[in-house]
Order: sequence, then C-alpha cells, then structure tokens
Amino acid sequence: MSSDLIFNNVSKRYIVRHEVDDDATKHPWIRKINALRKRRDEFWALRDVSFAVERGETVGIIGHNGAGKSTILKLLANITSPTTGEIVINGRLSALIEVGSGFHPELTGRENIFLNGAILGMGRREIAEKLESIAEFAGVKAFLDVPVKRFSSGMYVRLGFSIASHLDPDILLLDEVLAVGDAAFQEKCLTRIEGLRRSGTTIVFISHDLAAVERICDRVILMRRGEVAATGTPREIISLYQKQIEPSRINTMKTAMEDDRAVIESLAFLTPDGLRPTVFHTADPLVARIDYVAHHEVRDAVFEIYVRTGDARLGDLTEICQLTTETSGSPIHLPAGPGTLEFQCDELSLQPGIYHADVCVKERVASEAINWQYHAAMLRVDPGRITCGQFYQSNRWKLLRRTHAATSTQNGAGESERPSGARRQSLTPTT
Amino acid sequence: MALSEADLVAAGVGRDGPRRTKVIRPVAFSIRDLWAGLIGLSAYTDLLVVLSAHRLKIRYKQSMLGIAWAVIQPLALMIIYTLVFSVFTRIKTPGVPYPVFAYAALLPWTFFSTSLTNATNGLVSHAQLVTKVYFPREILPISYIVAALVDLLIASIIMSGLMVYYHVSLTMQALWLIPVTLVMAAFTTSCALIFSAMQVRVRDIGMAMPLVLQLWMFASPVVYPLRQVPERFRDYYVLNPMVGIIENFRAALLGSPFDSHSLIISTVLSAVLLPLSYLYFKRVEATVADVI
Repeated sequence: MSSDLIFNNVSKRYIVRHEVDDDATKHPWIRKINALRKRRDEFWALRDVSFAVERGETVGIIGHNGAGKSTILKLLANITSPTTGEIVINGRLSALIEVGSGFHPELTGRENIFLNGAILGMGRREIAEKLESIAEFAGVKAFLDVPVKRFSSGMYVRLGFSIASHLDPDILLLDEVLAVGDAAFQEKCLTRIEGLRRSGTTIVFISHDLAAVERICDRVILMRRGEVAATGTPREIISLYQKQIEPSRINTMKTAMEDDRAVIESLAFLTPDGLRPTVFHTADPLVARIDYVAHHEVRDAVFEIYVRTGDARLGDLTEICQLTTETSGSPIHLPAGPGTLEFQCDELSLQPGIYHADVCVKERVASEAINWQYHAAMLRVDPGRITCGQFYQSNRWKLLRRTHAATSTQNGAGESERPSGARRQSLTPTT
Repeated sequence: MALSEADLVAAGVGRDGPRRTKVIRPVAFSIRDLWAGLIGLSAYTDLLVVLSAHRLKIRYKQSMLGIAWAVIQPLALMIIYTLVFSVFTRIKTPGVPYPVFAYAALLPWTFFSTSLTNATNGLVSHAQLVTKVYFPREILPISYIVAALVDLLIASIIMSGLMVYYHVSLTMQALWLIPVTLVMAAFTTSCALIFSAMQVRVRDIGMAMPLVLQLWMFASPVVYPLRQVPERFRDYYVLNPMVGIIENFRAALLGSPFDSHSLIISTVLSAVLLPLSYLYFKRVEATVADVI
C-alpha cells in the first residue's frame, strides 16, 4: 500500500511580533519610534511531526486549540510552507476550509462557480461539465444568474460546499465544514463525504466534533503542543483525549482567597437518572451536581458554576455561561456538614464542543469566594438538535391558523369549514 | 445527492491513473524553485483567464460608462497634456501633431501605471482568499496586468481614430509593436511581482505608488521626446527601462526613427529582472499567509 500523504520531520515556526506596551501620554513621535522595536518571539506550532496517511484511509486529527491541528491543515493545503522538513502529497488534493471565501458579491452564481472552481484548481471545461450538478446539489439552480449578494447566507454556504465537493480529489482535507448549514444539509454533506470515502478518496478530517470523527475516521492522530501525542483507533484516541482534558482530580489549583468555612468536593454533570455519560448532546436534559462540605455555618450562601471554552492549559478561556443560585429561589442557609446541590437544566443550550467548568461557593454579601475550584469538570457536547448560531434556544412551536373572525365564532370544529380565500398562516398567536 | 453510486465508482476508476506527486519543502532561492514555480503556474492557466476576465467584469459592473473608462483615462490625459505642452508652452515634436504624439505614449504609460496601481494591492486585497486556498499567488498581480492589456487594446481604437484624423499612416515598422509590448509586459510583471510582495509586509508601498508613478512618468519620454533630454544626462536617463519601451512604442506606431540603444537596455534589464522578481515573489509567497 502506498502513502498518499507523508509528513517527514516537519516543523513550523511562527514569528510573533509584540507591540511594545506604551502609554498614551507620551508624545506620538516617541510612541512611533517605540513601535519600531517590536519584540520578536518565536513560536513553534509544529515540532518534528512525522506521520503518513495511506491511500483510501480516513484520518482524523484532534487536539486542543493551539495543538497544531490547523497548522497541519495549512501546510497540507500549501497555504504556508514548513520551516524544516518535507511533505509529500501524492495526487490531487483539495481542501474544504471555510467554504465560500472567494465569492464575489457582484458576480452571478454562475460566474462565481467558474471563478471559485478555478481558484480551487478546476479547469473551465471541467466546471462547465459539472455546473448543472453543482447548482443542483446546492439547491440554487433557479438563481444561477442572480448576483450572489442577493443570496441568503445558507445558499452561499451550500454553493461553496457544493463547488468544493465536486472537485473529485484524490485527497480531501476537511476542517469543521460540517458545522455549517442546516441539519438536512449537514446530513447531505456527511453522506457525500462517506460516498467519497467509499470510492477510495483519502480524507484528512480535523475537527472538535468528536462524534463526527468517530463516525467517519479509520484512524485518529492526537496532537499535543505541536507534537504527535498518540495514534490509534478512534475509540482509543478519543477516550485518551477525554482523559487528558478531564482533570484527574479536583483541586488542581487553590486560590488565595478561599477560607475554610466550606469546601467544594466535586462537580459532576449527570443525566436526570443520575448516570454519568461521557458525552451530552445539545438540547439534552442535564443535572450539574455539586458536593460540598461546610465546616462552619454559612448564613447566606451562593453557588455558582462558570462554563468556559478554550484552551485551559494556555489560560485562554472564554466564559460561555453561568449557573447561579444568586438570582433565583430562596436564600441558602448552610449548616455545618456535608451536602449536595443540584442545578437542573431541562435543555442544554450549549453548541457542540468541549467545555470546562469552574465552581464556587460564596457568601452573598462578600466579594470574595469562600471556595473556588478551577476546571472542576469537563463537559463534552456533541451535536444533538442542531442550530446555527452561538447557542441553542430551547423552544416549542405550534402552527396557528387564522380563520375569518365571523365564521370561527359559529363553528366549534371550524378547522374543516375554513372558507377558501381566508386561509392564512401566521407565526404569531392571533388571540 | 447529485452523484449516483455509478458516478462515484466511475470516478474511482479514473482515479487509478497516474498521479502528480508534489513535495513541499522550505523555500530556497534556486533555479529549481523557478522551474517548479513555472510548472505550478502552468497548471493554473485557466484560473488566470477566469480571474482576468473577472477583473474586467467587476470593474464595469454598476458603472454607467462601463468599458468606455478604458478609453477615458488616456484620452483625458492626452487632452490635458496637449493643452499644457502645445498650447501654453511649446514642445517640439518631430513631424507629428502633439495630440498623436502624446496619445501614442500614453497608451503604454496608462497600461504600466494602471497595472502597477492595481497589482500592488493584488495580494493584500485578497487576504481572505490567500489565507484559505492555495493557488500560485502570482496569478493575482498578473491578472491585473492581463486586464490592463485588454484596456490597452480598447484604448488603441482611439489611436487609430486620431491617426486617421491627423493623416498619420501606419508603416511596416508597426510590427515592432509586438516585441516592444512583450518587453513592456515583462518589465511591468517584474515590478508588479516585487511591489505586491513588498506591500504584504510594508503597506507604505501602496501609499507611495501614486507619487512614484507621477515622478516616473515625467522621468520617461511621455510628454516630451527622448531627444529633448540633454545629451549629458542621456546615459543615465535610458537606464529607466520605461524610456526604451515608451520611446520605441511611439516610434513603431508613428513610423518615426527607432532608438535601438535604449530598447536594448530595456530588454536586457527586463530579462534579468523578471526571473529575479519571480524568485523573490515565490519566497515571500511561502509565508504570505502568516503575515498578511
């Protein structure tokens, strides 16, 4: 068997230029001069990385943000060059990275297909042959001669994916592209990718979506700090990765501000049945259980959980949401002794991803926490009810039919007797 | 799904043909890289065609005068320079009326200046694309040059009108237009490659460009003939490759005497500069996505 992709001791160095901190009170000229001596720092995104991908194989690459996944992808796609080492690519390679970049708003759908296809490396004749099929797959056949600035964002994305997926590459690079479009289109994309896979296309898939990685990959490479940490079957490597991000035990970091009145012993994310799954899905019910021990009485206690995303190791975390007892329910009086507090969430709003949670207990009047646990638990969310946007908004919906006011008063079972011409659908309640 | 199972199988069969093997290494400054770059470029000729056509389309979409803009610029300049240099002050032009004389030089000059103005920003204005997809980056600046070449052809229509009006006839010497244009295209490409690559790191290049082009025009025989340049400066003057190009473009068009000395200098300089600028560009290209 021959290898389609070979990484031979590849390293990639980035030069990071820091602006010299400067206060605004200084004369602008002095600041200009200071700006000239920016600090140059080296950052090795990849160090001596070697691996090979065999023909027809689907390989997933996972790891924290900053572990070097995207750098590998950029190197493979030839967007940037390695600092040392050698990359061998055997065959026609195409990358599905942020589809739709490179569309020109003023040009029509048809013109953009030709432009984008050519950018991706297709010949004009090849594009002309596939035009029909591209438009059909994207569902924009009727809009081929409309400038794409009039397209909806969904059409935009679908057209982008459609063009790229018609490349018939020998090697396909995928980067989180499945996170676009509606659920139906995502399924269409996955089907398409599986079709390509069955026909023998070599695929490299880089994603945070561990469920999708598990679904389509034959082999997974785990990256850590720019090096290959492990290689193996999806099941093995994904569980290894999860262990790596799940802190082995609580109290990884103690804070100076804690006092000894109460200590949080653990934070766990559970199902309503009390089970402890490795993964949740968007819109699943979830229970966050906090076990604590109070050594002294706390009069008006507040429990809080902060959910964050990003790279815990680098301290590069963004706060996503907070659960708190502060703003609802009655005040909590903690007598001395152990206890448990549960937050119950009917539908999880988080989008797929890996999250870290901090937990703390404090006194309502005090500004400092009694006890604060960093990275007390890890929460993995896989796609459930898929929506676009930052989070899932739980909802129910119903369709309301507005009938003519005059007729609906008479007829209790008015549904069947709707006068024609008065049928209107409305999204808002009409009472 | 748009492709049936049968299609996919067929595609799979086609895939067993010979594959191109590509090796990506850190960039070096070598002849081998030059060759590899050209091979890579040749695989993307269709992109160059599509992108150049795209430049022309975009430029004239949502503009009322459309393609007429290709003519308006050199025509307006010709009228202004005619007023200044043949009505207010007099510049002696050998044998031809000043409007024809000026327009014959403004054709190549407009080509050069439009190409450079647009191409300098070629990489920077496509940052979004450059950081997402690979294609030989030189296609971006070069596509502006191809588009400017089309503009040159369109603007030439006015030239023929002027020549008919002023009874200047085309001679066999006009055949020289082909080699002169080639030298001009080569020199323009070299400049475009260098400036667009430099612009990625230092945006001052784009800022300085209008001023540089203004000075450059007066340092070239556009509004005055080469022979008006004092003898003692002329050796240095002709080191500007645009001198040989413009003087001889005009000579070829109007049938006036050729200046082969300056043309040889322009040709030699362009021939040396083109491969060097391409290598420089390729070197910058390797890390352009990191710094853009």
